[in-house]
Amino acid sequence: MFLEIFRFEIKQALKKPSTYVFFSIYFISHLILALIISGVIPLGNSDSNTYINSASGNAGIYLIFNQNIFALIHNIIIIAIMATAVQRDFEFNSHPLFFTKPISKAAYFLGRYFGVLTIALLVFSGQLFGHLVGCLFSSGQPTIGPNNFYNFLQPFLFFVVPNTFLFGTIYFSLTTFTRTTTLAYLLTIVFFLFDLASGAILSDIEYQSLAALLDPYGSKALEKVTRYWTPDEQNVRSLSLTNELLYNRLIWIGFALLVMIYSFKRFSFSQFLSPSKLFSFLKNKRSNISANITIQHISDLPKVTITTGRKAMWAQISFISQFEFKRIIKSYFFIIMLVLGGTFAYFINSFNTLIFGTEVYPVTYNIVGQTGAMFQFMLSILIVFYSGNLIFAEKQYKVDEFTGASPIRSATLVLGKYFGLIGAVALGLLGAIITGVFIQSMAGYYKFEIDQYFAGLYGRTYVNLILITAICFIVQLFVSNRFMGFVISFIVAFLLSKGLGFLQLINPLYLFNSSGPMVVYSDMNGFGHTTSIFYSFKLYWLTVIALLFLFGIRFYSRGKEKGLKARFNYSRNDATKQTGFVAIAFLLVFICTGSYIFYNLKVLNKIQTENEQQEQTAGFEKTYKYLQKIKQPRIVSSYVEVDLFPEELGAKMKGHYYLKNKHQISLDTLIVFYINDLNLKSLTLSVSNKEIINDTKYGLKVFKLQKPIMPGDSIKLDYDIDYFEKGFSIKAKTDIVYNGSFINNFLFPSIGYNEQNELSENSTRKKYGLKPKPRMAKLNDTSAYANTYISKDADWINFECIVSTVPDQIAVAPGYLIKQYTKSNRKYFHYKMDSPILNFYSFLSARYEVKKDKYKNIDIEIFYHKGHEYNIDRMISSIKKSLSYYEKNFSAYQHRQVRILEFPRYQLFAQSFPNTIPYSEGIGFIAKVDDKDPLSIDYPFYITAHEVGHQWWAHQVIGADVQGATLMSESMAEYSAMMVMEHEFGKEAMHKFLKYSLNRYLIGRASEKKKELPIMLAENQQYIHYNKGCLIMYALKDFIGEDSVNSALKRYIKKVGFQSAPYTTSKEFVDNMRLSTPDSMKYVIKDLFEDITVYENYVKDLSYTKQPNGKYKVKLTVGSNKFKADSLGKSKTVDVNDWMDIGIFSEKMEKGKTMDKELMFIKIKMDKPLKSFEFTIDNEPKSAGLDPYNKLIDRMPENNRCKFGVKPVPPDLNANSSNVGITL
Amino acid sequence: MLLKISNLSKLYPGGVKALSNVDLEISNGMFGLLGPNGAGKSTLMRTIATLQDPTEGTVFLDGLDAIKQKDEMRKLLGYLPQDFGFYPKVNAEDMLQHFAVLKGINNKTERKTICDALLQQTNLFEARKRNLNEYSGGMRQRFGIAQALLGNPKLIIVDEPTAGLDPAERNRFHNLLSEIGENTIIILSTHIVEDIKNLCSRMAIMNGGKILLNGKPNEVIEQLKNKIWKILIDKNDLAQYREKHKVISSKIVEGKVMIHVKSELIPDASFTAVEPDLEDVYFSTIN
Repeated sequence: MFLEIFRFEIKQALKKPSTYVFFSIYFISHLILALIISGVIPLGNSDSNTYINSASGNAGIYLIFNQNIFALIHNIIIIAIMATAVQRDFEFNSHPLFFTKPISKAAYFLGRYFGVLTIALLVFSGQLFGHLVGCLFSSGQPTIGPNNFYNFLQPFLFFVVPNTFLFGTIYFSLTTFTRTTTLAYLLTIVFFLFDLASGAILSDIEYQSLAALLDPYGSKALEKVTRYWTPDEQNVRSLSLTNELLYNRLIWIGFALLVMIYSFKRFSFSQFLSPSKLFSFLKNKRSNISANITIQHISDLPKVTITTGRKAMWAQISFISQFEFKRIIKSYFFIIMLVLGGTFAYFINSFNTLIFGTEVYPVTYNIVGQTGAMFQFMLSILIVFYSGNLIFAEKQYKVDEFTGASPIRSATLVLGKYFGLIGAVALGLLGAIITGVFIQSMAGYYKFEIDQYFAGLYGRTYVNLILITAICFIVQLFVSNRFMGFVISFIVAFLLSKGLGFLQLINPLYLFNSSGPMVVYSDMNGFGHTTSIFYSFKLYWLTVIALLFLFGIRFYSRGKEKGLKARFNYSRNDATKQTGFVAIAFLLVFICTGSYIFYNLKVLNKIQTENEQQEQTAGFEKTYKYLQKIKQPRIVSSYVEVDLFPEELGAKMKGHYYLKNKHQISLDTLIVFYINDLNLKSLTLSVSNKEIINDTKYGLKVFKLQKPIMPGDSIKLDYDIDYFEKGFSIKAKTDIVYNGSFINNFLFPSIGYNEQNELSENSTRKKYGLKPKPRMAKLNDTSAYANTYISKDADWINFECIVSTVPDQIAVAPGYLIKQYTKSNRKYFHYKMDSPILNFYSFLSARYEVKKDKYKNIDIEIFYHKGHEYNIDRMISSIKKSLSYYEKNFSAYQHRQVRILEFPRYQLFAQSFPNTIPYSEGIGFIAKVDDKDPLSIDYPFYITAHEVGHQWWAHQVIGADVQGATLMSESMAEYSAMMVMEHEFGKEAMHKFLKYSLNRYLIGRASEKKKELPIMLAENQQYIHYNKGCLIMYALKDFIGEDSVNSALKRYIKKVGFQSAPYTTSKEFVDNMRLSTPDSMKYVIKDLFEDITVYENYVKDLSYTKQPNGKYKVKLTVGSNKFKADSLGKSKTVDVNDWMDIGIFSEKMEKGKTMDKELMFIKIKMDKPLKSFEFTIDNEPKSAGLDPYNKLIDRMPENNRCKFGVKPVPPDLNANSSNVGITL
Repeated sequence: MLLKISNLSKLYPGGVKALSNVDLEISNGMFGLLGPNGAGKSTLMRTIATLQDPTEGTVFLDGLDAIKQKDEMRKLLGYLPQDFGFYPKVNAEDMLQHFAVLKGINNKTERKTICDALLQQTNLFEARKRNLNEYSGGMRQRFGIAQALLGNPKLIIVDEPTAGLDPAERNRFHNLLSEIGENTIIILSTHIVEDIKNLCSRMAIMNGGKILLNGKPNEVIEQLKNKIWKILIDKNDLAQYREKHKVISSKIVEGKVMIHVKSELIPDASFTAVEPDLEDVYFSTIN
C-alpha cells in the first residue's frame, strides 16, 4: 500500500508542469551561473585561482540557494512541492476517498511524504546537473579543474539532501496540522532572519563555532571548517564531515527526524478534519443566537441616494482603505512580521557593529540604516503577499460576485485597497522607529534624532515602499492567480534591476524604482545634495506607475470573465473621458521628468558601463603605451590655489609645478595627463613649445619643447582647472559636498605615462587583446627603483597652497597655516610646508570644531564634527604616545604638528598625508570603547597610532615601486601601532589583536585570487601587509627583542629616510633586520619574511598530579609540524627545529572577565615533531599549550592549547589534502 | 419595469454552450427560474448581473443596456449569488457597511440607517457584531439578502438561495423574499420546485442552456390536467416501463417504485389518474 501511494504521488507530480518548471529554474540558473563564473559568458571579469568545480566550490554553489533572498525563493519552492501533500487532499475534498478505503496511517502518511520528498530531490538535482553540464561545457577554462562527478555528488549529499529533508519535513508537518501554508511561509522568514542573525554573529570570531552549529543550512559550518583552506586545498580537497560540520549535520538531521516522528505519531485521519489552530485560544466561543424572526415590511425601507463622481470616488477610497487597513493590521501575519522585524533588528544590532569585537555608539544613522533595512525587508515581503491577497481577496473569500455586481468602479476599489496597504506599511515603519529608539535607550544612548528617523524612514524608505506596493498591485492586476503574481512581483520589484545591472544595463531610467545618485546619510553632510534628485526620480516612477495602472486596471479580474482578452473586453466601458485626461496629464509629467533626468544623465554627463570603461582604459594603453619610454622631468615643487565651493559641489584649482630634469640627458618632450572629466581651462609652459598631441578623450597633452631642458634645469607648468558637477550623473558626487569635502592632488595634472591607469585583471586584459601584466614589478627589477610606489612623477617636493572656502567652514591642507584672511565673503587659508614631502596631499573643508593639544613642541589638532566628541581624547592620547615612542625608537618627527580631520562616511578609512590625517566619521569617531573590559580593543587609539606611524613609514621611508614595497609602509605602521598599544594596554590586550590578525590572514590567503607571496615580495596584498605584517613583526620582536628590532629600524631610517632614487626595497629592509638577528635565530628571518611558513602546533596529551608538597606536576605532550607553502597554498612539510612558547595557565578574574593567568611560560626548542615535557608548578593549572598565543602562523589556531581533562582535538598533520573524519 | 432578454447566448472557451438563444421578458414581481444543476441558470443570472459578457444577444432593463452600461445597471441591481463567502474576522455590520459603500451609498448617516434597518429586517441586528464566518447557513442567506437590498434595487436576482437550508430556515427566507415590494423585479433561480410554488407568479424552466417553458405556474399545471398517470411497480420492471411509456419521474415508495407517466389517454387499466403538480410539469419538461 505504501508503495502504491508513493508511486501515485510521484506520478501525480510528474504530470504537473510546475515540477518541470521548478527543475528548469534550478538547472538553468546553475548552468548559467557556471558559465558566467567560468568566463564562458564574459560578464564578471576577475582573476581567480580557485576552481568552481572542486568539492568546496560545488558546495558553495549549491548553497547559494540557501542564502540571502534566494533562500526565500528556495523555501517557497519546497513548500510548493512538499508542504501540501496531505493538506491538498482536504482542500480538494478528496479526503473521503482515502478515509473510506482500508489504508493504514503509515502507508498514507509516509507514502505521501516520501513521494514528495523524492520529487523535491529530483527537482533540486537540477542544481547538480545544471552545474555539472555548465562545468563540462566550460572545460578548459582556467577556473575549471578536472570534472570529477564525485565532487559534484558529495556536496549534494552533504547539504542539499539533508536540508531538503529538514525543511521539507518541517513545512510538511506544519501544513498538515494547521491545514494552511501561512505558517510555513512565516517560518521561511524566521529561518531567513535566523540565517541573517547567525551570519552577523559569525562575523565575530569569538562566536564562529556557535554560529556554525546554529545555521540549519550548514553553510556557516562549511565556512567554519574550510575558511582557512588555501586556494590549492580548495581545489583538490574533498569535503569531510568533521567538527562543526559533522555536528551541525547531525543536529539538524536529528531535529528533522524528531519532527518527522512527532508529526507521524500525532497524525490521525480524524484530526485531519479539524485543523490544529495555533491561535485557537484567541477565538471567541461560537454562540448560537436563535433566529427569532419577527416579520415586518421590507418595502418601506429608508430611501438612500447612490452617488457617483469624483467626490463619491474619494469617499469610497477613504472608506475602503480604512476597511482594508483594519483587516491587515488585525491579521496575525502583519503582527508577526513586525514582531519578528523588531526582535531581529534588536538582536542583529548587538552583533552587527563590532569592529575588532568593539561596539560603536548606536548613532541614529546606523540604527536607521539597520533597523530600517530589517523593517524594509519585512514590509517588502508583506507588500508582495498582501498585494496579491488584497487584489484576489474577493475571489479567495468568494465575495467577488457581491463586489462585481456593485456599481463601484474597479479603479476605486483597487485604489482603496492600495491606500489601505500603504497605510499599514506606514504603521509598520512606526514599528521601526519604536524599535530603533528602544535599541538606543537600551544602549544608554539618549540622543534620539526623531527627525532623522522620519527623514530616513518616511522620506526615503516609505517612498520606495509605496512605489513597490504599486508595482506589486499592477502585476497582480494582470495575472490570473495570486501565486503567479507573488513570483512575478517579487522578480519585478526586487530582482529585475539587479539582473539588468548585471547585464550592464545601468541607465536608471530603465531600472524600476531607481533613486538616482544616492549617498548614505552622514552626520556631517546629512543626505547631501541628493534629496531633490531622489524626489525627481520618484516622481518619474510615480508617473510610470500611474500610466501602468490606468492600463492594468482594464485587466482587473472582476466578474467571471477569464483570460486577459476577455477581461479587457469586459471592462471596455470603464474607460471614460476623464480617464483619458488623467492619462494625458500623467504622460506629460512622465515626459517632463524623464527628459529632465535624461538631460542630466546623458547630455550633461555620460553613462559608462563597466565594459565601456574597460574599453576606454584598454584603448588608452594601446594608443599611448609607447610614451612610457620617454623620459620626463619630475615635479619638485607644487603651488596651488584651491577655491572650494561646497554649495555648488565644485572647486577651482589653479596652480603650478616646477619640473626639474633629474636625468643625465636633455629632455625635449613633456607629457601631461589630466582627468578629462574636469574642465581644463589652461595648461601652459614657461618655455616656448609646440603642442603636438591634444587628446581630449583620454585627457592628454604632449608638448615639444623648442629648447630642451638641460640636466638639472627646471621649467614651470601652469594649470587652471574647474571642477564642478554638471547637473547630476549616475554616481553621486561625494568628494566635494555641502559639509565635509575631501579631495586630493590626484585631480591635478600628472607628468608622464602612468602604468597604474592600465587594466589590471589579466582576464580583462585578455578580452581586449592586451598581454598579461604582473601586479607589480619584480623585486630585482632595478629599473623600477626610480619611482616610489606612491608617485611616478615626483620624489620629494616643496608644497604651498592657498585654500578658500565658505565663511562657516574651515579648510585644511598639509603644511603650516601662515595666514588666514577673509576676502569677498570667503575664508582663505594659506598653508606652507617647511620640509620636503611626497607628492601626495589633500584638501578638506567642513564646519569643524577644533580641539587642540600639544606634545613637547608639536601641535596636535583634531578637527571634528560637533557631536562626535566621544573618542577625541583617545586620539590625542594616542598621538602623544605614538610621537613619544616613534621619536625615541625610530627618528625625529619631520613636522611640527599632527592634525586629524573627520570626513563623511562615504569612504571608511583613515589616510596619512604629511602632518594631516583625514579620518572617516564611520570608523573611530563613534567607537564605543569599553574601558572596563580589558579585552576590548581600543581601535580609535590603534588606528590613530597606525596613521601617525605612517609619518615615518611612508613619509620618511618610502619603498621603490617593486614587490614588497608595502612592507616598509603598511606593515611597519602596523608594527609601530602595536608597540604603542602594547605599552599602553599590556601584553594581554595584544593576544586578542593577534588572534584577529591571524584569522584575517588565514581567510585572506584562502581567498587569494592570483597568488600568495612571502611578505618580502607582497604585491600590495592587504591580508599580507597588514595582517601577516602584524604577526611576523610581533613574532620577530618576540624572538630577538623589542630593542634589537628598534635599533635595526633606527639604523634603517637613518640610511634610507628621505632618500632619492634609487629607492629602498624590502630586500634592503630584510637584510638590515638580519644584521641585528643573532645567528641562532637567522632562520626566523627567512621563515617570516622570505617564505610562506605555516605551522600546525598542537597539544597531544596533557595531565597533572598533585604532589605531596602541594605542588603540581604537569605532563605535557605537544607536537609541531612546519610547512612551507607555494603561491597557491600547496604545502610541503619541512623539519621543525624552532623555538616556541610553551605555557601553563590558570584563570583569574579581572574587571569581571575571566583572563588567563600564566603559571609558567617559557621558550622551548621544538627539535622533534613530538615532544613530552614535565613541569612542576605551584598552583593548580587549568589549561596548557604550545605557542598558546598564536605568535606563529598556525593553520589551526584553536588546538594550540587545551584544557586539562578535555581530550585534545586531533591535528591535521598532512601537508596537503587530507581528510580526517567521515568521508562519503 | 421590464427586463428584456433577447437572443442571449454564451459560449465558454472550450466549446461549452451555456446559453443558447435565450429570449425572456420579465416584469415586476417574482419570477422563478427552474432547472436542474448545470442548466445554465447561473450563467444567465450572472450575465444579467453584469458579471460576464454574453457572446451574443442583449439584456435591457427598460431603456438601459445592461451589457454596455454596466455601472448604470449595477446601481439598480441587487444580487445574491449562489456561492459566496465573507472576509474572515469581519463582523456583519462592518461587512454590510462595506457593501453599502460599494453600492455608492456614501452619505454616512444614510448608510448607517439603511444598514441598521436591513439588519433589523433580516433579524440579524442582535448578531451584527459577530464575525460572519460564525454565522449559520440561514443567517448567511439572510445577510445575503440584506446585502442585495442595499440601495433600493429595482431588479433583484437570487441564485439558488435555499439550497442547503433546513425547512424552517427556508420558510423564513421565503417570507423575507415575499416582503419585497411589488415594484421590483425579483428573479429567483432554483432547482427546488417548492420555492417556485410558494413564491412565484411567473416562471420558466430551463435546461441545456435553453428556455423550455415559460408561463404562470397554475397555467402550466393546467396544461397537464388529465395527462399524468401513476402506477406502483416492481423495481425490476422499471426498464420495461420506460421503454413502453413516457416515464417522467420515478420514486421509491416502500420498496417499490412509483412512476408518473405522461399520456393523453390512460396507458392501461393498471394506471390511476393523478392531479398534476409543478413537479410533474418540471419533470415532463426536462425529460
